[in-house]
Amino acid sequence: MGILRLAHVDVRTPDLDLSAAYYTEVMGLQQVARTDDCVYLKCWDEEDHHSLRMRYNPRTGMDSFTFRVEEEDDLHEFEKKVEAYGCPTTRVSRGGAVGQGESIRFEVPSGQIMELVWDIEKTGNILGKHNPSPVPPPDLPGIAPPRMDHMLVNAEEVAESASFFIDVLGMRMTEQVLDGNGHQLGVWLAGNTRSPHDIAIVNGPNGALHHWAYWLDDWDHIRKAADTLAFNGVQIDQGPTRHGVTRGNTIYFFDPLGIRNEVFTGGYWVDPDTEILTWTEDNFGKGLFYYENVISQRFLRMHT
Amino acid sequence: MATTSDRIIRLQHVEVRVPDLELATAYYTEVLGLLETARDERDGAPRVFLKCWDEREHHSVILREAPTHGLDHMSFKLNEAADLDHFTAKLEAAGVPVKRFAARELGPGWGEAIRFDAPSGHLVELTHGTERIGNMLPKTNPPPRPQDLIGIAPPRLDHLFVMAEDVEAFTAFFTELLEFRLTEQILANDGHQLATFLEHSHTPHDIAVITGPNGALHHFAFWMDDWNGIREAADALAYHGVTIDVAPTRHGVTRGYTTYFFDPSGNRNELFTGGYWVDPDFEPITWTEEEMGRAIFYYHRQVNERFFTVHS
Repeated sequence: MGILRLAHVDVRTPDLDLSAAYYTEVMGLQQVARTDDCVYLKCWDEEDHHSLRMRYNPRTGMDSFTFRVEEEDDLHEFEKKVEAYGCPTTRVSRGGAVGQGESIRFEVPSGQIMELVWDIEKTGNILGKHNPSPVPPPDLPGIAPPRMDHMLVNAEEVAESASFFIDVLGMRMTEQVLDGNGHQLGVWLAGNTRSPHDIAIVNGPNGALHHWAYWLDDWDHIRKAADTLAFNGVQIDQGPTRHGVTRGNTIYFFDPLGIRNEVFTGGYWVDPDTEILTWTEDNFGKGLFYYENVISQRFLRMHT
Repeated sequence: MATTSDRIIRLQHVEVRVPDLELATAYYTEVLGLLETARDERDGAPRVFLKCWDEREHHSVILREAPTHGLDHMSFKLNEAADLDHFTAKLEAAGVPVKRFAARELGPGWGEAIRFDAPSGHLVELTHGTERIGNMLPKTNPPPRPQDLIGIAPPRLDHLFVMAEDVEAFTAFFTELLEFRLTEQILANDGHQLATFLEHSHTPHDIAVITGPNGALHHFAFWMDDWNGIREAADALAYHGVTIDVAPTRHGVTRGYTTYFFDPSGNRNELFTGGYWVDPDFEPITWTEEEMGRAIFYYHRQVNERFFTVHS
């Protein structure tokens, strides 16, 4: 039983066409479905129905984020645990959401709506299962990451939120940033992906989305992605650079409606018993951006 | 709450035989860039214990002096100590004799372990509690990598590739008794498995097997962070006069980037990066016999004879 990985993020946009154009042509995602008010998108290597839902709404923001659990029976177990913690849960039955079966939804202590699901409609990646080439066709538009990787949300009380993800949802802390009084300013949490983080929580307003990240295979792809972003006039927030926390290579940038995206690679292997790494407040700059060693106020204060 | 349903976490270590222990140790520490952590003597044979820089545990490669080369055994890391009992019961119920060893009984830093033979004659170990000695970085404010590494210095061991006369029996043993999951397979025209790729770590493979002599080692592989690291490693290998079996290229199976080469005793090593994520319910990928060249070496579409025939 446990949390497997990030499955999809559902966000709101006041300009569905502009957002769809950016995510398909610049980011290079595949549009898999469109309804009157929603666009569903996925990366080329993802086998799930979608990893991003964009819904028309006058105000930009996050509707919810969804993690896949390890086994079908886990939903019932998590429902009991989350209820016992004091968060009311809602069951969404099959047919209640596009591309997936039954799920549970609840508000995490920092105010975001989280969803857990096992039954996801598997539509396959673009390579197939029979003598597949190891790379997608060379003419995919945009950056074309193979998959979504992780996300970061804000919380006013990072420690409270972290304990929910660790004690109730069973995720593992891999790294933390502590202030001078020993309070957690940020935590990095892994499901069962053996990677440094599937979700991170950093001090900031409750309910806020900081960013979600797409995986790229190496630093050279990060560099090429920066070229693509600059060519298309996308506003780059940070990078290309290196994180101290997670050791990852990264670029942060904003979609046309101001939602922060990241492309990420690197990291390290995490066993279930790997010890936690701790960053102290005086090293927070290096922890965030190892080369620059500065704490960017835009990075910490801007969110969706 | 358990945070994983996988009882086996990953490959823990390999113990390989080398006729010249000092030469092999020089190669693994100075060219490959592993760290020597201990030496001992067991059953009259001296051994050298090695680890990669980012590994937290005492050893991932053990060299044992012996008249021949090849694999002594493979060892997989268990999530919990209770998993030793789980697998003992399961294997014994299937008629597989299991031997149990206390912590440190098998060598310095060694965890509690069980050992048994796979149908192919390979000695397999499952272990828990290998001594943790830390990677080379502090736990507080760690830089992303150490500065004083020697040689290629891969961060960790990644996977193992062995040979078996009956690939299907080997695969059934690993999937049914050891709970591995099949990610890819190469099928002969008559439908039988020529090679299979098996995982526990949500990667394309922790162990793979291809048709060949029972008990044989094809190679063991170290992880590199990216393709550029593989290219630089090939420069280092060529500079040191290491016999390169396959220059840097791309696999179809696993999608990985790779280079193959031989240690001074003739055990094949690989440096590997890339691959993809797999969920536990991943539908396996199938390669057909006529596409085997492309499956193994995607660019050249053919496999050199040495790759199929040379093993240790």
